Amino acid sequence: MSCAQAAVRESAAPPVLTLRSRPRRIALVGNANVGKSVLFGRLTGQYAVVSNYPGTTVSLTKGRMMAGGEVCELIDTPGVTALEGALTEDELVARRILDPGDTDVVIQVADARNLRRGLMLTSQLSAVGRPMVLVLNMTDEARVHGIVIDADGLSARLGIPVVETVATEGRGIAELREAIGRAAVPSFDAAHRGDHARVAHDLAVAHRRQRRRSAARVQERLGRLVREPLTGLPILALVLYGMYLAVGVFGAQTLVELVEAGLFERVINPGAIALVNRVVPWAIARDFLVGEYGLITMGLTYAMAIVLPVVATFFFVFGFLEDSGYIPRLAIFSDRIFRVMGLNGKAVLPMVLGLGCDTMATMTTRILGTPKERLIAVLLLALGIPCSAQLATIFGILGGVSFAALVTLFGVVLTQMFFVGFLAARAIPGERSEFIMELPPLRLPQLGNIIRKTLLRVRWYLGEAVPLFLIGTALLFVLSKAGLLTRLTDAAEPVVAGLLGLPRDAAAVFVMGFLRRDYGAAGLFQMSKAGQLDGVQAVVALTVMTLFVPCVANFLMMVKEQGPKAALRILGVVTVIALGTGAVLNAVLRGLNVSF
Amino acid sequence: MSRSERTHRLSALGPGARGRIVRVSRENPDRADRLMALGVTPGAVVTVLQRFPGVVFLCDHTELAVEPAVARAIVVETDEA
Repeated sequence: MSCAQAAVRESAAPPVLTLRSRPRRIALVGNANVGKSVLFGRLTGQYAVVSNYPGTTVSLTKGRMMAGGEVCELIDTPGVTALEGALTEDELVARRILDPGDTDVVIQVADARNLRRGLMLTSQLSAVGRPMVLVLNMTDEARVHGIVIDADGLSARLGIPVVETVATEGRGIAELREAIGRAAVPSFDAAHRGDHARVAHDLAVAHRRQRRRSAARVQERLGRLVREPLTGLPILALVLYGMYLAVGVFGAQTLVELVEAGLFERVINPGAIALVNRVVPWAIARDFLVGEYGLITMGLTYAMAIVLPVVATFFFVFGFLEDSGYIPRLAIFSDRIFRVMGLNGKAVLPMVLGLGCDTMATMTTRILGTPKERLIAVLLLALGIPCSAQLATIFGILGGVSFAALVTLFGVVLTQMFFVGFLAARAIPGERSEFIMELPPLRLPQLGNIIRKTLLRVRWYLGEAVPLFLIGTALLFVLSKAGLLTRLTDAAEPVVAGLLGLPRDAAAVFVMGFLRRDYGAAGLFQMSKAGQLDGVQAVVALTVMTLFVPCVANFLMMVKEQGPKAALRILGVVTVIALGTGAVLNAVLRGLNVSF
Repeated sequence: MSRSERTHRLSALGPGARGRIVRVSRENPDRADRLMALGVTPGAVVTVLQRFPGVVFLCDHTELAVEPAVARAIVVETDEA
């Protein structure tokens, strides 16, 4: 039976003719970490489109799949814990997709090891009234844990197809395709309808057998090693070092060298300059494209040759950590510290992501529970979390100075973050939410899935961040042509030279850094290479730069997430703290006669 | 041994302790709802895995990490008499 016929069985279905006006829509729904994305990949093959849900930044993956000889549209929804009660933005989106006009058939994906939780969602889905199929995924892992589920019995009891799958190996996918034609609205005992916990518990007890568990030991032992402080903290140090090697050394040095020196300086820029000089007759237009602040020679080169390799490597490493289930375990360690700052352990997610790109991290602060937490997290990201481009510069410059210089910088930045968070927790009204976090099982991530995620994020970077690089460059061009750049630099000089004790040229770098933080970072790098900065100056300049106002993209994201008023306030606070800290640091280091 | 002597708050149990949830305090309804959505409901079997730096426990086959205040709201009946 085709999926079109399946929907016809439903009494409220629209007439057959309108059914054909668009492909059948099938939604994948389920708790987080049950393997929805892998299943999506299996069902659709390669073809997938990512789009934002209207009015939100929750992204949805859509693709086409064959079921019952018909092409259907498959939508992968964000992971949910519930569809009723107080819902998060992700859950609201998932809930709206289930509306009659949007979806014809629902495939609920459940983790076979967590039947009770899965059935709780099934019970809520039955209230929604869409025809559905229940997928019990990861039955192999369940079996390792000694869990056997009576799928046929469950299917008979609920009146819907129940399919067992191992999505990572492609097992059960053909059965699932076939079962979509038999999708139906589940029927639950009228006596307990609405009491989802009770219904799910009774059903799970009736249809699940727990045998003696066999192996699962390795996973458990690994989980314990990562979780307990004595072993977990050294592992964390190793993970951070690995990240540094991958992003800071391989991405920021090897790859950047390859792309910048190899591709851009030798091929693209000379080619572009030659072409523009031949084709474009006006000097100012040539300057705009390939001059000192040229769109191609500066904007595109920075965006594609210096930042992209770093960001892409970071996204790959982050994807690996995300899929391995490691990041939520960091939350256990950080919970106590974050609680002092008015947050909870969950905030570790945006903070780690911020090490890649603060703009993207600012967007993900919405996973936090309360408005107060979101505001504090946005503030701390803007203030203290260096993005991958900045980290590369910090390591690039201070790595050549001394280890003590690095320790000083991170010591000052972390202390400031902690201090500001502590004050913000007390000054900002509102509540902090409690720390309750699910720890997904530790798994060896699938390379294909990591690549898919990395590509999606890189595409986001190309679409959202690169245009801002170009706008920033255009702005610099206009400022420099209008003679305003010199005036701005002159105006900033007393602060930069007097207060911070930096060379005059650093003022230009800071003005640039205002437009794009990593521009500033790259500018500092040039100055340092030219030997214009001594050790103390390098530490002070980089500390101010790290604490300083985020890049334009990040600021715009702050406006989007928190509104212009709050964003401007954060901008003001962060600027004062950055300059103040720089001035004090300069005075102290000079006073103590420190030379790194 | 009476039932009350075998019921404990989850926060009071040490690593390795196992039991069945008898009650989740509804003193903070928001918290109770979140816990319920994660499967922390009466009848579920829990095993405490760790107490520091945060309380980590297994509820059925879901591993959860919570802060101490949350663990205090979960009342568990332990296996051994």
